[in-house]
Amino acid sequence: MIGAGIHNGDLLIVDRSLEPKSGRVVVAALNDELTVKRLHKRGGTITLKAENPAYPDIPVKDGHELRICGVVAYVVHVP
Amino acid sequence: MSHDIALVDGNNFYVSCERAFNPALEQRPVVVLSNNDGCVVSRSNEAKALGIKMGVPYFEVKHLTKSHGLIWLSSNYTLYGDMSARMMSILGAFAPEQEIYSIDECFLDFTGMVVDQIARGRKMRATVRQYIGIQTCVGIGPSKTMAKLANHIAKKQPQFRGVFAWSALTATEQDAMMAGLEVGEVWGIGRRLNAQLDNLGIRSALDLKQADPAAMRRRFSVVMERTIAELNGVACLDLEDVAPRKEQIMCSRSFGRPVTDLADLKEAVMSYTVRAAARMREQSSACHSRSSSSVASNADTSARHKCRGPVS
Repeated sequence: MIGAGIHNGDLLIVDRSLEPKSGRVVVAALNDELTVKRLHKRGGTITLKAENPAYPDIPVKDGHELRICGVVAYVVHVP
Repeated sequence: MSHDIALVDGNNFYVSCERAFNPALEQRPVVVLSNNDGCVVSRSNEAKALGIKMGVPYFEVKHLTKSHGLIWLSSNYTLYGDMSARMMSILGAFAPEQEIYSIDECFLDFTGMVVDQIARGRKMRATVRQYIGIQTCVGIGPSKTMAKLANHIAKKQPQFRGVFAWSALTATEQDAMMAGLEVGEVWGIGRRLNAQLDNLGIRSALDLKQADPAAMRRRFSVVMERTIAELNGVACLDLEDVAPRKEQIMCSRSFGRPVTDLADLKEAVMSYTVRAAARMREQSSACHSRSSSSVASNADTSARHKCRGPVS
């Protein structure tokens, strides 16, 4: 998530009360595994974008189980 | 004036708190064990489906970890207390009055508010689910006893999807529903009372509702009379929005290993005393005596040390 200013070891402040709208950075549980991605909703399709060229986008397909745990509100970066 | 009271509680609360932070626990049989991993104190629905009863010692169900993938967790009361405080503050925003009844349940008083009770219940449920990831059930009725009973229905009858309000039924439907509930499900009717009521032919919640209050008061107590009134929609119990102060505060833990060094023991006594004192100050009390005791117990040694003293 380097493109979103989130680096390895950073601390995320997650606000669960925010609505996970398209374009927000979220903590999600995809098939019970936690991940941080930018959420994209278009039409009926949901894509999780890594904002890092080294990682591909993940289209959420039928059979995937996606749960949004919360919206990332702030990042605390270790300099 | 008729009252509108809701009882909201967290489902499988301790397991749900653990799941909120570890999604890998979803859809698996999970139990939380009491202090020192003795007994089962919280079960996921999957664990209940395996026939694991509340309060059973862990060793009796241990074999299920291999055969059915049962996952067990030590209890983390700091986490549950924190999640409870969050849940209570979210729910508290929905009504002018709230009584926190236990770590995972609270009463809310909607009296005088014009609301669609079912919609309100669904909104509370969805909000708690989104904000802290805990599933809840909501029961709404004209008294605390009826709210409790409604909550039981919301929990046990899936067609209501976690929210049940007596006001959604006609009087006839309400009685039919109560006829289907065992009297032991009524708040305050324990096992002993249940047996006595059974002798009188009172088996369902409806039987108790229709019992003669005066005769039941003579036979049992004023508490029983109050329960009957509450079942008839007359609220007798107020919400207690301020919990009574504790008159005794205890802080105790089991050690993970035997303590043989006096310095270690002193340190433990001191840190538990600090914690107990903090809890005392939270409720703005002062104390006039304190005591500590440490007990060693195993097969071949038994030692006990007690001290008690005034507070300077």
